[in-house]
This record gives sequence, C-alpha cells and structure tokens, in this order.
Amino acid sequence: MSRLAGPLVALAIASGVALLAPVPLAGQAPPSAKTGTPSRTPDGQPDLQGIWTNATLTPLERPAELAGREFYTEQELAEIEKRAQEKPRSPESAGTVAHYDFAQYGLDPNQAKRASNRRTSLIVDPPDGKIPPLTPEGRKRAAERAEARKRSGPFDGPETRPLGERCIWMAGEGPPMLPEAYNANIQIQQGPGYVAILQEEIHDVRIIPLDGRPHVGRKIRLWMGDPRGRWEGNTLVVDTTNFTDRTNFRGSSENLHVIERFTRTAEDTILYEFTVEDPATWARSWKAELPMVKTQGPIFEYACHEGNYGMANILRGARAQEQAAEEAAKAKK
Amino acid sequence: MIATVALVALSLPVRPAAGQDAARRTADGKPDLNGIWQALNTANWDIQDHSAGPGPVAALGATGAVPPGQGVVEGDEIPYLPAAAKKKQENFANRFTADPEIKCYLPGVPRATYLPQPFQVIQGAKSILIAYQYAGAVRTIPLEDPGPSPAPSWMGWSVGHWEGNTLVVDVTGLNDQTWFDRAGNFHSDALHVVERYTPSSPDILMYEATIEDPKVFTRPWKISMPLYRRVEKNAQLLEFKCVEFSEEVIYGHLRKKASK
Amino acid sequence: MRARLGVVAAIAGLLLAGAPAWAHHAFAAEFDANKPLKLHGVVTKWELINPHSWINLDVKSADGKVTGWMVEGGSPNALFRLGFTKDSLPPGTEIIVEGFQSKDGTNRAVGANLTFTDGRKLFLGSSAPGSNPDRPSLTPPKDPGKN
Repeated sequence: MSRLAGPLVALAIASGVALLAPVPLAGQAPPSAKTGTPSRTPDGQPDLQGIWTNATLTPLERPAELAGREFYTEQELAEIEKRAQEKPRSPESAGTVAHYDFAQYGLDPNQAKRASNRRTSLIVDPPDGKIPPLTPEGRKRAAERAEARKRSGPFDGPETRPLGERCIWMAGEGPPMLPEAYNANIQIQQGPGYVAILQEEIHDVRIIPLDGRPHVGRKIRLWMGDPRGRWEGNTLVVDTTNFTDRTNFRGSSENLHVIERFTRTAEDTILYEFTVEDPATWARSWKAELPMVKTQGPIFEYACHEGNYGMANILRGARAQEQAAEEAAKAKK
Repeated sequence: MIATVALVALSLPVRPAAGQDAARRTADGKPDLNGIWQALNTANWDIQDHSAGPGPVAALGATGAVPPGQGVVEGDEIPYLPAAAKKKQENFANRFTADPEIKCYLPGVPRATYLPQPFQVIQGAKSILIAYQYAGAVRTIPLEDPGPSPAPSWMGWSVGHWEGNTLVVDVTGLNDQTWFDRAGNFHSDALHVVERYTPSSPDILMYEATIEDPKVFTRPWKISMPLYRRVEKNAQLLEFKCVEFSEEVIYGHLRKKASK
Repeated sequence: MRARLGVVAAIAGLLLAGAPAWAHHAFAAEFDANKPLKLHGVVTKWELINPHSWINLDVKSADGKVTGWMVEGGSPNALFRLGFTKDSLPPGTEIIVEGFQSKDGTNRAVGANLTFTDGRKLFLGSSAPGSNPDRPSLTPPKDPGKN
C-alpha cells in the first residue's frame, strides 16, 4: 500500500461512522430527529454514558473564504481529511521550533479519532457562522482587560500566565465544551438524579443535578458555572450560570448563560449543541453544534498542576534573561 | 448536635448489625451509594490520636490552631519499618511546609475521603465515579478489571466489586507523593489500598481502608470511620480550584522583583 | 471551478487558522530556539506525568564526566491509549535526543526528536500501526516536525 493509500483507507474507516451509519451527524438533520429508542440507565434516563471525543477539523467560526457555504460536499470533506492526514502537526504550528514532536507522543490530531463533519463552521446561528460582534459594553470590557494585562509583564509571575498554563482551566473545558488540541476526551457517567461530565483536561467534573433545583445564590461564582439539567424527551438540556468574570469565554462577562443539549443520535454518536447568551457582551445569542463520537477509554488522570515543571521553568527563564540583560547593561557602562 | 452524633458514631463498631439491610437499593438492585458524603473528624490533621495544638501562623490565633481528635487507625498504631518511622518524624517536623495539601496537590487515596470537604458518588451499573470537592479530584471505579495501571498517578487505579452490601475497591498505581494527613504519615509507590464502603443507614456510609505497603510498613493496617450524607436539600459540590491559592508558595520566589 | 479552488484554498488556511492552541504552555517562553543540542545518554527515569512527560538521562562527556539532563516531551495520556506504559522506556535505555535547551540555562531541554542509537524513533518505532483500535492505520508521517 502506498504511503498515501494508507491514510485514505484509514480515513474511510475513521469516517465510516458518517458514511455508513443510517443516523445523520451534525448538520445533516434537525437535532429533533429521533431514531429509535436509545438505551436507558437502570433509573430510566436515556443512556449517554461512555468515553467520547469532540475532536474535529471544523473551526468554531466560518473562514471568510467560505462565506455563504454552510456545508462542504462529500468530495471536499474527503479532500480536507486527506490534506489533514498529509500535514502532520509540526512544532512550527505550535509557534516555535523548540517543541517536541507531536506524532512521537501520539498527539498529532491525525492519530486520534474524530467525527466527520461536513459543516464549515461549528456555529450554526447566526447563519454567517460567526460570533456576533461585541456590544459597546463588551468592547469596553475587552479593552479594559487588555489594559489590565499590560500593567504587568507576561512573565512577571504565575498570575500573568494563561489559565491553561497555570493548570486552572483549559479554554476548551467551557462550558460550552470545545475540543482541546489533543486529549479531547470526555467521560459521561450517570447516576440516579445526576449526570456527571468529566473532561480529560484538566480532570474537571461537572455534576449536573436533574431535580429542578434553582441555581446557587448570586454571590457564588464558579470557573465552570453552576449547571442544572433536565430531560426533554431523549435530550439532556443543561443550563449553566454563575460564572466568574475570569473564565472569559470569548470575551464574556460573568453573566454568561450557556444552554447545552446532548442527544444520542446513534450508538456511537452524541450530537452536542450549545447556545450562549450574554447581553452584556453580544448583541444576540449564538449557537453551535458538533458531534461527539465514542472513543477508547479509560481516561488516565491528567494531573496538570502537580507536574507543572513548565511554569517554574518559564519564570526561571525570564528571570535569567532579565539578569543577563542587566549584566550586559552594566558591562556597557 | 451533629458533632455529638459523630463522636458517638466513631466509637461504634463499623459493621452494620448482622442481617440488617440498611442500604437503599438502586434500580438494578445494588446498594445505593449515590449522594454527597463527608467525614466529620480530624483525620486530615492526624489519622492518629492527637491533642489540640498551635497552628503554623501565629497571626491566625485560635482560628489557625489544630483541633484535637481521636484517631481512625485500628489500635492507633501505624506499623512503620524503622527507617520509615524516622522519615515520618522528619515529615512531622516539616509538616507545615512539606504537606502536599499546601501545594493543592491531588490528595490520593484514602486521604481524599476524609479531607474536610464533601465528595459525591455517581453510581452507574458498570462504573462508579467519585468526585471530590477538594482540588477537583476524581476517580472512576470500573466494576470490570481495566487491567494494570499504565503508570502511577495521584488518585490511583481503582477496580471495584460488590460483596453483599459492601462496595470493595482495590486501589493500586498510586504514586509516592501524597501523605495520609497533615501530620506526615506517608507511603511509597508500593501502596495498595483496599477500601470498603458499607451503608449502615440511609444517611451513613461506613468506610474502611486496609493499607499495605511493604516498603514502608511491617504489616497491613486499617483505618475506619463513618461518612455522613449531606442531607441539605441544596447540597452540592462547589469548586475548590486551589491552584491559585498555592502559587505564591510554589512560584513566589520566581516572581519578577519590583524594579529598584 | 473557481468556487472549488476557493474552497480548497480555504481548507489549507483552515488547517492552520482554525487550529486550537497546540500545547499546554508557551514553548518559546521555556526553551531557546537558538540553543539547539544533541544529547546521547542513558535513561535514568521516565516521569510519565502531565501536562508534559520528562525523560531524565545521564549524559557522559568525552572526559568521562556524567551530567544529568531532563528532557520535556508530550502528555503521556495519548501514549497510554496507544498501549505504551511505564515499562516502555526502562532505565538503562540508551537514547539520542535532539532538542533545544531551556532559557534558564539549566540542564533542561525539550526533546524535538528522540531516537534509539540505531536511529529508530522512540514510541513510534515500536508502536505497531493500528495498535490503537481507535487509531487509523497510519503510515508514520514523513519526517514530522521538519515540514
């Protein structure tokens, strides 16, 4: 088999879900389409349990070149998959040559399972596939945040580093949940009255009560918000509020409101839809959807903070450079 | 009132009365461990008997002091090997700086169980998930053997099975970085913990853990305690993402110094 | 046809622009692209930790002096999914690391390319394609990292 044929055959296998399964994936049918009766947990909930991945090639927002195009054709999709396979992630794509090889560690996205998706953007509403423009208040907040960041150097201390680097919160964790660059895996566990969603990075569990209780009091703010769930037919609907203003999902305020919908559309597929609204940030709500497909478990513990040698190395590196600059300046005198 | 109940319960034998089926049942007929639970003791300060003592920060006065408590170790004796006994003494001397809890590290097993914060059991038919409020720690306990652990981890590699009313969890694959308490009781990466969760009433889970580590102890030993259901109608885990509370301790010395 | 070309061009852009951040931390902040190095050493410990694994190795210089180095690599979780375990790179294994030294000038580096002394790549070299049931049977990419 030629070097090219291998990946293509593999692709056919990987995307077989989409090509062969009678149940449509994201964007190919309205989410309300119900197909058969999903299996149930012992306490009667539709069963969403398992290990899932939300890895995808489709970007959140539609690229400008694809304006007006909601879907790729099957041929275009095949082309995209082929190009992705031919172009392994490189250190340069990580922004530096000083980087480990992704493929050696199994972290090239091509090495992991991902759902096929003909959508050109995950955003389905507004129809242009773009996040709505910021409101004046949203722009002001963004400017203030940028200003606050400038008050200290990016390497002054741990607080000036990104949340992911600090092992506090990965941007993809949300909610809404968007794929991480790798280890984009999600475990769903159900018990009577609860659904728990564990994200591999950073071992965070969202525990969603289904008993209709109100949200926690306004003074309680949470990085990942306060989720409340209910079943609408076979769809799990999760309503999340009480965010901190530090989570900052694409410029959001602490009044971010996220509504997620999980529908098991096939044995190995969950359609994940989410709507975000935050009138203090965007003039209108917006909506996206993407499939999650079953993948291999178990999920190994992603203890991030505990082994975060990188943080100390980065700060130490910055101090070493400052000292070198200081000594060079002295030598000049 | 709750505290009184706790003290009484501590002095009781940890097994439910013979023949008594105190467990709620899940729809598939298993003992129902679902719920939010919390230990009500001072084991996180010291799993052995201890008197009250001053805390590490004088400025905190009485609020920072160590509360007294009766131990949770059977016979109150931890059978350390001689070298390990010495190491424990060192740990104790350095406890206010060396305890991994100070750095917001994942707590390991069994310590996660008796940290002074709640945890929640989400029980499925094939696996049981335990989420702990502290540091967002979590364990998945499959009821089918997942095979050996690929590498050591903080919360270990668990497999569970039912013995009557008891969930028995076998935990291996734990690293050597966690302590049992703030008093410096410790273990190696050869640690093997067998936990037993037994409902003794709808709102009490009896917890036992047998601890085996031939690199550190001369024989297996056991801890036990009741765990109480958080019965508040609005009980739920909140976030205790403590990384940011530990950054000064861990990275403070690497901060940029204020320019002169 | 023009539309089609436009789409293909967009695809190429998409593969770069649409990508999420590719690593847990800023590599350019930790390692110095101007300090490339090549280490030939013996593994003393493989720390299979997140967010990044670290290979500890002893490097012997021409005058016989042994120096310890730590080499950063990727998250181990995907390696586990591929079937690798803590026993896959035992202490005593002789390896060659091409990488870049850390900015703080200590004996730390990022391992851009890891090989056994016979040139086989670590992890890739011993992973049978298709060993992960979820993983497409990929031919190992041609000279990854150099494209």
